[in-house]
Amino acid sequence: MILRTFLTTVLLASLLFGCGGSDPEFLDGRAAEIYGGECSGGNGKSVTIYSGRTENLINPVLEAFACETGTNVQVRWGSSINLALLLNEEGSKTQADVFLSRSPGPVGYLESKDLLGQIGEDVLSLVDEQNHSAAGTWVGFSGRKRVLVYNTDEFSPETLPDSVFDLTDPKFKGKVAIPGTNGSFVDWFTVFIDQYGEETATQWLNDMVDNDAKYYPNNRSIVEAAGRGEISMGLVNHYYNYQEVAANPDTHKALNYSFNDNDIGSLLVITAATKLASSENDEAAEDLLAYLLTAPVQQYFTDRTFEYPLAAGVVPNAALPALTALEIGSVDFDKLGGGFEEASRIVEASGILNR
Amino acid sequence: MTQIEIKRGAPIGLRVVVFALAFLFSFPGIYLIWRNLTEDSDPISLIGTERILSPLWRSVSLALAVSASAAVIGTLLAWLTSRTDIYGCKVWKLLLPIPLVFPTFLGAAAFIRTMNPGGLLNRFFSTLGVDQTIEMRGFFGAWLVLTLFCYPYVYLPVAARFRQLPRSLEESSRVLGQTPIRTFRKIILPQAGPVIAAGTLIVFLYTISDFGAVQLMRYDTLTRSIFTAQLANQSVALALSLILLLLAGVIVLSERIFSRVTFKTDQALMGKPLEYELGKWKIPAFIFTIFVSLLSIGAPLLAIGDWASDGIFRSTVGGRPLTIDREQVWESAWNTLSISVIAGIAAVLAVLPVAYIVAKYKSRIGRFSHAVVISTFALPGLLIALAMRFWTLRTDWAFDLFNNTKALLVFSYVVRFGSLAMGVVLLAVAAVPQRLQDAGRTLGVQRGSRFFRIDLPLMTPGLGAAAGLVILSTMKELPITLLISPLGFSTLATRIFSSFEDAFVTEAGIMALVLVLISFFLTWFLIIRKADHF
Repeated sequence: MILRTFLTTVLLASLLFGCGGSDPEFLDGRAAEIYGGECSGGNGKSVTIYSGRTENLINPVLEAFACETGTNVQVRWGSSINLALLLNEEGSKTQADVFLSRSPGPVGYLESKDLLGQIGEDVLSLVDEQNHSAAGTWVGFSGRKRVLVYNTDEFSPETLPDSVFDLTDPKFKGKVAIPGTNGSFVDWFTVFIDQYGEETATQWLNDMVDNDAKYYPNNRSIVEAAGRGEISMGLVNHYYNYQEVAANPDTHKALNYSFNDNDIGSLLVITAATKLASSENDEAAEDLLAYLLTAPVQQYFTDRTFEYPLAAGVVPNAALPALTALEIGSVDFDKLGGGFEEASRIVEASGILNR
Repeated sequence: MTQIEIKRGAPIGLRVVVFALAFLFSFPGIYLIWRNLTEDSDPISLIGTERILSPLWRSVSLALAVSASAAVIGTLLAWLTSRTDIYGCKVWKLLLPIPLVFPTFLGAAAFIRTMNPGGLLNRFFSTLGVDQTIEMRGFFGAWLVLTLFCYPYVYLPVAARFRQLPRSLEESSRVLGQTPIRTFRKIILPQAGPVIAAGTLIVFLYTISDFGAVQLMRYDTLTRSIFTAQLANQSVALALSLILLLLAGVIVLSERIFSRVTFKTDQALMGKPLEYELGKWKIPAFIFTIFVSLLSIGAPLLAIGDWASDGIFRSTVGGRPLTIDREQVWESAWNTLSISVIAGIAAVLAVLPVAYIVAKYKSRIGRFSHAVVISTFALPGLLIALAMRFWTLRTDWAFDLFNNTKALLVFSYVVRFGSLAMGVVLLAVAAVPQRLQDAGRTLGVQRGSRFFRIDLPLMTPGLGAAAGLVILSTMKELPITLLISPLGFSTLATRIFSSFEDAFVTEAGIMALVLVLISFFLTWFLIIRKADHF
């Protein structure tokens, strides 16, 4: 019996540890697209990142950074909201130097708790003024456009409306999905309130509820459901449909549709990088933030994750919807911190979450 | 042969240990109370408002429905596989605990994507001319998915109990001409009642704490209210969480009152339990078991297998390349296996003293500790993770000792899942006949020595099953693993989550298959092999 257990363990261990390591000198896979050169030796610096962006897409960037600069990189992956809550719990004792958020909301939350540090002017100036905070506490590193994802069997672009306001039309009764509890939706709605006033925004959402809009928990589930035809259309970030098409090119029958350029429904929402106030690895943190905004990384974001580049003069991938209304990104995301709570309250009160 | 039982006061050493354990298990509860005070939350004013009543009602009604169905299915399956001549008994024992290992977000997604319009099964049915399949959403969807993934919480301990029942009573009943069904109702059910109740309570609490499945099924519960309030209105989120915990505490305490009958048998060593012949029920019982396992294991496996094979095929013909390599899968698999086994053993060791004091002695501390361990299960994992972080950061020595260690991760798992081990451990402890103890004492064996030489060997199979429950649940755990683990530590579940988030369904599918394979191995090793010694 003991012998058997021993043998099983040895067998298992040899299986698990038996596979060979990769060449440490050069990167492979997606990371090599960002940096193809030889890895530099350690530079003695290290940086710890809490990343709300997922591993499959962001790790190549971090690997390239580690290889090219020789910085020691450690990461905690998780959802942006959970990580923001964790950072709040950890306060000044956190190990994190940098927090990467999928949407502005969690950043606003951390800012309201005074946990964010000041990013250097060198880094801030790499993006347009509207894409970093006035106080210098966060900097955008990629953009996602709000779009309407629709099922191609049920609708064609000609039959879709010019403005998000038209979705209250009886024509779309019971057809539209809204990710009411999703971070980037609430961010978008916060800007909506900021632009049109609370009354108009509340009225629009209530009309959507009256028009039998359906609640879905997040962008991903809407895009996936639209691809199957379970729902006809939904308000989402442009970015999810590309991933879904790449995963299921044959069966996924949904496309993105852009509202008019000047419509609030076409807002560009950014993903943000921040530095923690308690960080003791200031230099490495700045290095990383700057690295995210270099041309190879911005190129990677637009070609591989299908997001909008924000720096280094990189042109958006041709597959992305045109972004003539980039100035709509000039909406002051600084206001999101305070407005988030109000927006959540209106969403909750509208009753959409029970639909 | 019932003997009069005199419960004595517990020895002081044991009481101290149990008290210390209760303190450790109450970290999340104390954290919630503390934060409610510091954030100026006002849980009392929330009670009775619409904000809490309607989601609370939806949570409770779902939990009641899921517990009822899981109790029936779990008990029936336990009976069929442990005491009857059902076809393929060994296979069922291996298969039936597996649903525990599917992360609920993955399971729910598998159902939605397979059954709903445009899904694999839905398309299959429409080619057969069946147009209407039931849509997976809302109360019904959440109920179905949670029932299918939670019945093992009842099935596993109840199966262990059925195997342990003395045959003498059943034989007498038979000799007296009672039908098997009557014997089941009159003799077996009353003896297994407390175990069924304990398992059902776990299902109830799990359903209340669940977020992954209810969210995807778009059924709006109290956990959803808590999660959305967290960033926007933290004091409300904290108040709601505290109310949730208190509610769980009340339910757990009242369950203890109803099942005061302890899990006692004095004839656990009477050899193999009676096996019943199903006769004309053989085919229906077989069909029922196949039906349940097709839904609870077959459907998710079909979806997962479809994702995995589809993507692997596509990557070989020049589609999107895979973003994981073999090394990563091995590393995560090894992490998953090792950390969950350690957590399983630690959880059993942690609840053992509590179970011991509850089963053997009359002790208020024992009852209190038991309630603390069980009711913590109603808290979503995220709150446990935040609470654990909070406590290690408040004391310098704990910070130096535990920060960024696997020890803290294991501790968090034990607090989260200790409740699962409790029921089965209690059963194992109570099954050690008092007369063996008495005999040992008469022969002058010391108390400690009696425990190791008499109790422990007899309890081993039960403890194995208890560890199994914790291990299978730990393997799929997500929020604690993400937030508490040392930097750079990944498990299969965290990689599945990360892949799934960005539609890398192939990668998620591959790793989910590995997860299922590991759990087959563990089920065989811990639950089946050991349990056959009952």
